[in-house]
Amino acid sequence: SKGMQFFGGSEISPSPPAPTASGNNAHMMYVFNRNGICLLYREWNRPHRTLSAQQDHKLMFGLLFSLKSLTAKMDPTSSDCKFSLIIVRLGLVGIWELESIARLFELLYASRNGGGDGEVNCKGDSQGNVRHFAFLTWFLAEKGNLGVPQLPGQGCSFHSFRTNTYKLSFMETPSGIKIILVTHPRAGDLREPLKYIYNLYVEYVVKNPLYTPGTPIKCELFNTTLDQYVRGLG
Amino acid sequence: MGKEVSESCVESLLTEIVSSYGTRFYANKPDLAARRIEAIGYQVGHQLSERYTMERPRFSDHLEAIKFICKDFWSELFKKQIDNLKTNHRGTFVLQDNRFRWLSHMSIDPSPENSGSTQDPSAVAENKAAEAASMHLYFPCGIIRGALSNLGIPCAVSADISNLPACEFLSFSALN
Repeated sequence: SKGMQFFGGSEISPSPPAPTASGNNAHMMYVFNRNGICLLYREWNRPHRTLSAQQDHKLMFGLLFSLKSLTAKMDPTSSDCKFSLIIVRLGLVGIWELESIARLFELLYASRNGGGDGEVNCKGDSQGNVRHFAFLTWFLAEKGNLGVPQLPGQGCSFHSFRTNTYKLSFMETPSGIKIILVTHPRAGDLREPLKYIYNLYVEYVVKNPLYTPGTPIKCELFNTTLDQYVRGLG
Repeated sequence: MGKEVSESCVESLLTEIVSSYGTRFYANKPDLAARRIEAIGYQVGHQLSERYTMERPRFSDHLEAIKFICKDFWSELFKKQIDNLKTNHRGTFVLQDNRFRWLSHMSIDPSPENSGSTQDPSAVAENKAAEAASMHLYFPCGIIRGALSNLGIPCAVSADISNLPACEFLSFSALN
């Protein structure tokens, strides 16, 4: 069953999971809080930079927000899902027949309320045109509530994506702290390392009496233990 | 011995004590805030030393009492003993803890703030950081002073954290 993630008890020196391979560092890391403030940006390897730091942080936060919402809404196993895997094939030319429109809506509503396997396949007898396609897109966006964020711990959670040049791994805690780690594309599953990094954050930032929550992290102990740990990541 | 409390709760409480006394109750009067916090520590140390010496005979001299603080007392409070004890045999003792538990999460902002003062900016930042960190030492200093005075050694206690996470507590008392 999908419950909240619990992060294990921490000691002063938590022992790290064994690194999967030696050598490569991560490229960079971001930490955001629930309000979108970038608490930490650390860079170990980033040859090209096109945006200012502020723009870069905003872009990253926005990307994650969208990805999280989208992946949660697209979850085919969720009974809460509004429109999962809707395949609508519409003819571009033709006259709408009332009957066809009614049937299309019938199918859309059926999928929305969890009927069938969530797949709506309209072909052949449905005729439409570009205007209807626009309406459908609006319908999905508005009625599908794509903008509403999921509560942490609810629904399915996206944890990484990979491109040909990098892999982005993501973790969000119930308190809304988001940790993003960008590594080389062949990196393995980094969910355990991300949890370990979160424990470092708890020990050396949250528990640091000199740190004010919600402000950028400038804790030397955190930076040095983080650098040391990241150096050992595969 | 008795009930237990989560360590995170104790540490959070200590952090909040310093914050409340320093920024609210005695804002802009750091000396007063420090004295109040030290007084609280004194009470705590007094009571704890009473409890932890319950079934023991009296200490034969000051050195025995200090050794008790370094071993049994420190173990009860911090799960470890004092790492190094020095004395000048004239009433001054230096208790060195190489990894003081209540400071183990503390680190200072390494970057100097950009201030328009004539002083060297990194020195100003270091001073501010040292001042902020030292506020957290009044409570443990008070504990040691309270414990020692209950064992018959009135003294003054101060601390030195030039080597974080190590901490040195200095106890000055009259000759026995």
